[in-house]
Amino acid sequence: MRPRLGPAGFFLIPALALILVFYVAPLILSVYISFTPLKNWNLDRYLGETSLDNYRALYSLMRFDPDFQKVLKTTVVFTTVTLAVNVLGGLGLALALYFMDERLSLPYRVLWLLPRMTPVAVYSLLWYYFFLGSPEGTLNSILMRLGVIDEPVQWGTDPRLLPEMAWAILVIVNGFVGVSFGMIVFYSALHNIPREQVIAARVDGASTLQLMRYVLIPQIRWHIVYVTVWQLLSLLTTFAHIFLLVEWGVVDRYWGQNLALYVFLKAFSGGESYQGLAAAAATILVVIGVVLGFIALRVMRFREMMVEPKGELG
Amino acid sequence: MVEVRLERVSKRFGRVVAVNEVSLVFEDGRFTVLLGPSGSGKSTLLYLIAGIYKPTSGRIFFGDRDVTELPPKERNVGLVFQNYALYPHMTVYDNIAFPLRLRGVPEPEIDSRVQEVAKLLRIEELLDRYPGQLSGGQQQRVALARALVKRPAVLLLDEPLSNLDALLRLSIRAELRKLQQSLGITAIHVTHDQAEAMSMADKIVVIDRGRVQQVGPPEEVYERPRNLFVATFIGSPPSNTLPGSVESDGGYPVVRVAGSTYRPGEEEARVVEEAGLDRVVVAFRPEHARLLEAPPDEGFDGLSLEGEVYLVEPLGKENIVTLTVAGLPVKTVTPPEQRPGPGEKLYIAVPRPRVMLFDPDTGLNLWSLAEQLAAARRPD
Repeated sequence: MRPRLGPAGFFLIPALALILVFYVAPLILSVYISFTPLKNWNLDRYLGETSLDNYRALYSLMRFDPDFQKVLKTTVVFTTVTLAVNVLGGLGLALALYFMDERLSLPYRVLWLLPRMTPVAVYSLLWYYFFLGSPEGTLNSILMRLGVIDEPVQWGTDPRLLPEMAWAILVIVNGFVGVSFGMIVFYSALHNIPREQVIAARVDGASTLQLMRYVLIPQIRWHIVYVTVWQLLSLLTTFAHIFLLVEWGVVDRYWGQNLALYVFLKAFSGGESYQGLAAAAATILVVIGVVLGFIALRVMRFREMMVEPKGELG
Repeated sequence: MVEVRLERVSKRFGRVVAVNEVSLVFEDGRFTVLLGPSGSGKSTLLYLIAGIYKPTSGRIFFGDRDVTELPPKERNVGLVFQNYALYPHMTVYDNIAFPLRLRGVPEPEIDSRVQEVAKLLRIEELLDRYPGQLSGGQQQRVALARALVKRPAVLLLDEPLSNLDALLRLSIRAELRKLQQSLGITAIHVTHDQAEAMSMADKIVVIDRGRVQQVGPPEEVYERPRNLFVATFIGSPPSNTLPGSVESDGGYPVVRVAGSTYRPGEEEARVVEEAGLDRVVVAFRPEHARLLEAPPDEGFDGLSLEGEVYLVEPLGKENIVTLTVAGLPVKTVTPPEQRPGPGEKLYIAVPRPRVMLFDPDTGLNLWSLAEQLAAARRPD
């Protein structure tokens, strides 16, 4: 008898095909490339031989190349700080919105969503002008007018301000985009909590802070886990804004570069390009992402939240 | 344990008047039921007492204390909701302990008070569980425990039984009533279920469209509804209402209703004349009407109508018979052995004390209209 394809299997085919073609195949391909000495897209010459050379190279870069070390440090700092800003900021905004009048909260939400709705280039351009090192730069002109500084500051590139200022710029630019994601998820989660629980807590004497801490936040734990893991993974791999900031010279080339951008530049920038090396770095990035993702789920006790409820339902 | 007093309390939400000039007294230690259809403003009234809402105008007193401006936590009220509103991430124990922890009560005292109230509500076995692991009835006990553990001055109950299945509702209803009596606590219970109100209340407050329609003990609200709304809202099935026109029978006003003539009592006749009514609404309760095979004898004093059986609903302990009387539906309740067939022609007899007359314009019962007329005549 021929094994029959169930309806579930049948309906999964289109999605599975897409995932196979656009995710699984490229993943396998890039892992493979990471073992080849591919460079300058010279497929005929370099594909075929495999070795661990790229990983060895990365290891020695990590030990001896100060620029690569900067990239790694930037990646760690940028990812953790922006993650904290995104999750905690999103939570703060959602809670503020929750206690806000509906008429006020709608324009407020739209305002915070603007960075996400604005095209990456336009949004980055705004920040380019904001942090511009000339007297015409928004920040410089404000501070000069207020008399805080006498001459324009090269915010992201002045060696005296590195690396903190470059990192701050990266966090600010990405933070404003990322924070709205947490805000939207948390806000809708908060609205799913029955209003009576809030009333009950109020009647029992809970202050707003106690209400948040004991009633509201514990109930959106699942959403916090979700947003944290999701943002962690997307921050590890984000580079669009950072690329433009680096290209336009808003931030220092290495103190303003994360590993994802490093991968991109190594593989695709003009001149000598090293696809094999980039693929190795990308593979490490994926491994780090997977490991961190699992750790996050573990730390936040994801399994505990997935326990089936007991007793009668409904 | 206090008396709760409302003085001309109104609450507006934008242009909507949810509660309109309500003055009420909830006696100390008594069980008062706020009864009304959904949207009548009864829950708003409860939330005003709890302090969740601030009245637009009017004052609220707990005993001698004016609490109008006080936030909920300073009023010391226990509140129980229809959906229980238990915190799903806390155990039953923590749910009950929560109000005490917020007040900074020391843990040993919290423990003894939680155990005490758990014993009272027979939920000691459930203290380690989460709300999601409990049945509806158990959850409502926990909610009640959480409201009682802080020894509130007033217990406010917002449709607490509406989410329970019918059987459980009956048993918890009785239990709740006994509990309130043994604690001697002032309780205010909101419901749209008139049977629940009748069975539990010391006093019923009927509310519709933000206004108090009638206040009184259950018997009174049932026997002497002040207006058409109360008459048709309380009772199951609700009162029958038929339009009648007033005619004169040798100087005495009589009512032509659904093809027959009803001769009102002297008291009512006087009000009809005094108010100059030419129309009235005739109403009676289905359980007060008898179905007869033949017209009632000459001596029968009351309302007699002729109708055709339309539908019979046997309920076991009784039957609900719907008839058409001059094209209008009329319901009667008959004993189980009396089970007429559809199409049968029968006579409906309602003894005089059970027939109610209302002014169609104001909806007022004639006795209530008489009081109003008397009040209007009285010089200030």
